Amino acid sequence: MQCDDLVRYLSDYLDHNLEESLAAEAQAHLASCHNCRVVLDTTQQTILLYRERGKQLAMPAARHAHLFAQLAKALKAEDEISE
Amino acid sequence: MDDVALLDALKQRDSSVLAALFTRHADALYRLAVRLLGDEQQADGVVQTAFLALLDHADRFEGRANIGTWLYRVAYNECLMRLRAAPSVSLDDLAGESGEFMPSCLVDWRNLPEEALLNEEAHAEMERAINSLTPTLRAVFTLRDVEELSVSETAHILNLSEAAVKTNLHRARLHLRERLSRYFEGRHT
Repeated sequence: MQCDDLVRYLSDYLDHNLEESLAAEAQAHLASCHNCRVVLDTTQQTILLYRERGKQLAMPAARHAHLFAQLAKALKAEDEISE
Repeated sequence: MDDVALLDALKQRDSSVLAALFTRHADALYRLAVRLLGDEQQADGVVQTAFLALLDHADRFEGRANIGTWLYRVAYNECLMRLRAAPSVSLDDLAGESGEFMPSCLVDWRNLPEEALLNEEAHAEMERAINSLTPTLRAVFTLRDVEELSVSETAHILNLSEAAVKTNLHRARLHLRERLSRYFEGRHT
């Protein structure tokens, strides 16, 4: 496996979607190619940083409550119409 | 309570079920909308639209459908409508990126101290990097790598083939890695 093959298969390798023989070739290449190892490791780190930051984002509590109140009102209104 | 039971209760207009569904799904929909629209107020509107559609649709919901992915689908389509209505977004921006991409910055920045990786300046660069992606790449990356949905769920929500999800995710990851690597390169000791 060459570097450009490794890059092409990088996401499938990370997601464990490569068939066994290709995964073994990728592993062998990564063991001997420092640059590809760095690309793999920094890609994983990139994903982790976004995941950690991303999951911290939530609708602020006051707007959460306000929006839910509007939806509950809509639910009640539909209920009254159906009756 | 599973989705079928929740839907049955929602059909009976049970507000505690609406509360449970809202608690379970609102923040994830909000994150996708903020990521795509870059505007918190518009994101609130997207969440509201998705839940109003659910209330409207509850009686006709197919038993096998997953409420979470259904809400995501409505929210994503609402985001696309709002993006198309925005004068600054061209259709090309919505079409997705193409072409091979080879990493060129090969600095290993993983072991930078936490304060370098997690400070506000680094966060601002992460935001600029992800906002430089097309909406499709942003959505695929957000659903797969932040929300950790499966390829098939992501494909269903975004109305893409599974192959397209994988290709777009790969492009998004490589672009983001490159941007962050260039940013951290200057801070690497």
